[in-house]
Amino acid sequence: MEFRVRAATREDCRDISRMIRELAVYEKMPDGMKISHEELERDGFSQNPFFHCLVAEVPPQHRTKEGYTLVGYALYFYTYSTWEGRSLYMEDFYVMPEFRGKGIGKALISNVARIGKEHQCVRLNFSVLSWNTPAINFYLNKGAQDLTTSDGWHCFRFDREALDKLAEEAVKQ
Amino acid sequence: MEFSIRVATLEDCRDMARMIAELAEYEKVPDQVKITQRDLEQDGFSKNPFFQAIIAEVPEQHRSKEGHCKVGYALYFFAYSSWKGRSVYMEDLYVMSEYRGKGIGKALMSKIAQLGLAAGCKQLNFAVPNWNKPSVDFSLRQGCWNVTSDLGYHCMRCEGPALESLARGEAKH
Repeated sequence: MEFRVRAATREDCRDISRMIRELAVYEKMPDGMKISHEELERDGFSQNPFFHCLVAEVPPQHRTKEGYTLVGYALYFYTYSTWEGRSLYMEDFYVMPEFRGKGIGKALISNVARIGKEHQCVRLNFSVLSWNTPAINFYLNKGAQDLTTSDGWHCFRFDREALDKLAEEAVKQ
Repeated sequence: MEFSIRVATLEDCRDMARMIAELAEYEKVPDQVKITQRDLEQDGFSKNPFFQAIIAEVPEQHRSKEGHCKVGYALYFFAYSSWKGRSVYMEDLYVMSEYRGKGIGKALMSKIAQLGLAAGCKQLNFAVPNWNKPSVDFSLRQGCWNVTSDLGYHCMRCEGPALESLARGEAKH
């Protein structure tokens, strides 16, 4: 199937927002997404963007029954490793179910890796749910390592309330 | 013990490089650090920095036996959650062993929270190896939660030959 991968534009944010929601449903957390497409526009398409995004597009003849031609995306940003240097984190990677198995996912992730390489990034990090066997296999087949299993790395998080409380301590300091 | 927390400058890169090496030693992987003082200067203090850093400093009378007054640091960067929006990722948090237990680690973390909130962030994320019990316990005491244990997210990484191969593997379309 014909498709192309390109950099997302501000106008794509509605579709990206739709696909973020679809991915949340797939991850069994349908209410997880709290931000609007306007927030994506502000944070991804201003002078100092918080993220970058690639989208996969099919020609009109392959559009979905709802009329969508944007059928996949990869959202990423630059990070830093104090051991290895410039890195990338791929926050989201998704292809609509009816468009899987056609090389679209591979094209998206390869383009993320290529862009990283152009910026001298030496690592691509991302996370995956332990039960998501198709995704885990996809990544392991491409040579990814599972650092949680191999080295015991766990991700920790402060959510808004806990973050506010922590920040208050800084003011007192 | 009196100490202060401030934003790092270019001149702090020498001490940061020293403390990065000390942290790698503590994490049992001293040979893994490939980043030099010069890399830190270029990557953190140019027009589009890959990271931000804060330093913990003690007055002269409390300097270490080697004469260091810069006794801790935290290195972080802005990130993005496709569900919650702007976030901050704390890559490193380190306090020299003889200065622990004095509130310096907490003060560094609080400062990041404060800076993150000021930039509109809603989450602070970081990773800890689960065998590092003092760090895990410290983190949980500050009010965060373990995303890996609770939700099952695994940290994945592509680097070296696997990343090269991925970057080359973009489909021609």
